[in-house]
Amino acid sequence: MKFDDKKKVRKVAGENIVIMQSDNTVDMTKVVALNESAMMVYERLTGRDFTVADVTRVLTDEYEVDEATALRDAEALVASMRKEHLIID
Amino acid sequence: METATLSIGGIGVTLTGDANVALAMRLPGMAVFEQPATDGIVVRLDETLAQPSCRWLHSFDLEANGAKCHFGVGEDGCHYHVFGDNVVLRYDSCQPDTVACSTVGDPWLLRYVLWTAYGMATLHRGVVPVHSSVVVCEGKAVLCLGESGTGKSTHTRLWCENIEGAYLLNDDSPIVRVEPDGVYAYGSPWSGKTPCFRQERYPVAAFLRIVQRPENTIKHLGTIEAFTALQPSCPPVLAHDEGCMDMIVDFISAVIGQVPVYRLGCLPDADAARLSHDTIFPARQ
Repeated sequence: MKFDDKKKVRKVAGENIVIMQSDNTVDMTKVVALNESAMMVYERLTGRDFTVADVTRVLTDEYEVDEATALRDAEALVASMRKEHLIID
Repeated sequence: METATLSIGGIGVTLTGDANVALAMRLPGMAVFEQPATDGIVVRLDETLAQPSCRWLHSFDLEANGAKCHFGVGEDGCHYHVFGDNVVLRYDSCQPDTVACSTVGDPWLLRYVLWTAYGMATLHRGVVPVHSSVVVCEGKAVLCLGESGTGKSTHTRLWCENIEGAYLLNDDSPIVRVEPDGVYAYGSPWSGKTPCFRQERYPVAAFLRIVQRPENTIKHLGTIEAFTALQPSCPPVLAHDEGCMDMIVDFISAVIGQVPVYRLGCLPDADAARLSHDTIFPARQ
């Protein structure tokens, strides 16, 4: 899997967001906000193919977290990023 | 060659061309903004422009007459807007202060084309026409945001009727600028169905995203919600181009760092106006 390079992460007043472009006129723009760990994973893995194990490694490298917890967090993070189409196959 | 000069949003606008210059200056409200201009942007009207070969980014129908419009990037790297069958607007970011446009027959379309040209050529200066109805109160501007039909104009009318000294600055597309000492709203020649054309400038006190609700409530929005409230009110066509979107994001970031954005759930009544007014301008002790 990889990050969709068409979904650009932008900085808005200190927050990292991805703007979900809609073709219809909408009342509110949909954005996905990346928290600190999601942004860390994005920065480390963008532009290349990666696996859940790679995500887990980023989390264990950067945070004081055991392997099992990191794996669980990595799976959850990948699932939510897939749901928002930030991650594609 | 004909020439006319204006000042819109504090930016000099020089129109050059033939018949379209006179047609532009006869559009409602345009004469209010006539002023000598030595710098700023140049809109070259009545140019001969061929249909461009483009990578199209966005297509839409014009509300007023259903004409198909397209926005894209040409093989020459320029941005193109095509309105209906034969009106072409070209913007070359290497000459960021100049826009070229072919001859427009319909005055209404010319008005829209000029709005597009202005938005295109001033974006790199952090100048954005924001779709809103604006009221002035206590020397400051309050901008009501929302899609057509959500009650922007109704809410500003309620301010004018119920808040002492409040009056309308613009009813559709004021110009908003981030300046060294704050964020300012300017009147413009684009005011929707309401002929309200004022060559005036005020610091922005707040933005109100209007939402129809069975009761009146107001909420101060955090960064992300404030962004999602403001972004659809910036020229939506430009959001389809990454470079333009970067500039719009910079603009919104600067704006929401300085000016509060609220979501107003409201009924079309006087209490809604008092609630938003008293929140933005708390009574002095």
